[in-house]
Amino acid sequence: MAFEKNYNDPELEAKLKDTCYYTSDANPDFLKEVERISRTPAHLCFQCGTCTGGCPSAPRSSFRIRLFMRKATLGLEAEAVLDPDLWLCTTCYSCTDRCPRDLAPTDVIMAMRNICFIKYDTAPRNFMKSVQAMYAYGHVVPNNATNMAARVKLGLPEQPPTVHAYPEFLAGIQSILDHYGMKEKADRLLSEVE
Amino acid sequence: MHEYAFFLGCIAPNRYPGCEASAIKTSAKLDIDLLPLKGASCCPAPGAFGAIDLRVWYAMAARNICLAEDMGKDIALICNGCYKSIYEVNEKLKHNDDLRDGANEVLAEIDMEFKGSIDVWHLIELYYDPKICGVEKVRNSVTHPLTGTRIAPHYGCHLLKPAKERHFGDSENPMWFEELIEALGAEPIQYRNKMQCCGAGGGVRGYDLTQALDITNEKLINIEEVGADALTEFCPFCQLQYDRGQLEIAEKFGKTYNLPVLHYNELLGLAQGMSPDELALDLHGVDCKPFLEKIL
Repeated sequence: MAFEKNYNDPELEAKLKDTCYYTSDANPDFLKEVERISRTPAHLCFQCGTCTGGCPSAPRSSFRIRLFMRKATLGLEAEAVLDPDLWLCTTCYSCTDRCPRDLAPTDVIMAMRNICFIKYDTAPRNFMKSVQAMYAYGHVVPNNATNMAARVKLGLPEQPPTVHAYPEFLAGIQSILDHYGMKEKADRLLSEVE
Repeated sequence: MHEYAFFLGCIAPNRYPGCEASAIKTSAKLDIDLLPLKGASCCPAPGAFGAIDLRVWYAMAARNICLAEDMGKDIALICNGCYKSIYEVNEKLKHNDDLRDGANEVLAEIDMEFKGSIDVWHLIELYYDPKICGVEKVRNSVTHPLTGTRIAPHYGCHLLKPAKERHFGDSENPMWFEELIEALGAEPIQYRNKMQCCGAGGGVRGYDLTQALDITNEKLINIEEVGADALTEFCPFCQLQYDRGQLEIAEKFGKTYNLPVLHYNELLGLAQGMSPDELALDLHGVDCKPFLEKIL
């Protein structure tokens, strides 16, 4: 007797025919946004796990870069970008060099961090402090008294010939940061946690 | 004499001025003239700024490149992090109209324009490049060879990776830095997982210090296994992570290595006869004396 596979349940039939993945949290535009910012076709990832295998952060934390690649494809935006592990990537680019699909998982992480900061208004404190230091001094790691003394002993000028010695260039740096409202946002995000 | 605009970055001039001083002095002996790039800022740090808003990263790095374009000189720099920002933004803006237009729109507000007229080099690749300097010339400049010392090389990440956007070839087991170390009379040594990251990049050092130090610790264990008199690199941020990091590892994990960490330019300075005082080695967290006693 020849028969067709049939569970005699129209509702289940409809579900089985539907090969799309649905979740109320998924945002299909997330993948597009990630691919636009990262300039890498993240959806080509076939989940081999080479990236996680060579990742220096993976053995000592729950950071799994393969998982983030999957979440990009599935459009799980909030779940991916608000995960604190997102910020454990050291951007060493080992995964990018080893990816058999020639993708750049590191750049996908960077894109997700961008979305986290720009769209979700969230970033770790140290990143915001870097913005503040940049705005104030033009250097993320500014000069200090001990270092100035050492520089003089070496026969170097007390201040390096960067924006430190030419503070007239600071306005230009601040103008770029202001263009994107970085300083204001950094101040606000930091004041919220303090 | 080859002239370059010398992009300093942050850590070299503001934490390890010996790197800056030795880069200028040692390069002069190799016919490379490093001119000050006036008004340069932080590159900006790829992990810190690229991570939160790539547009800011492009614009800020482009501003630094514009300063060198105005001088009409290629940029030379001594830090892998700076290399990622300055080299990569230079290449990306040269080849992508949308990115260049975006950056130029912001730069127009401060009367600057990215033209794409210069190239960006790491000083170490200029040393290795026979057209500019070459290993033999480095070898010939050595007056006080570091004979009898075993030195572990650390390549760092952003000079070589991602390999398809660079021009250094193999990023899994490169050997060219070993040639430069060997040129100083020292013995370059191989150790497990040589190409692993120092752990500091991507903002991880500031975000989760224990995590960053744990990666550093693994590198230090691997180096300890083969026994080295010193570690050398060409990235002041890696240097900070290894050097200050060893003090932090001692505090957090209770493990001491006492492995002196020197920038390649500092080593080259020693090999060309500069005294430790001329290199401000006293600013290093880990005492360099045991290493200096071996060579002086």
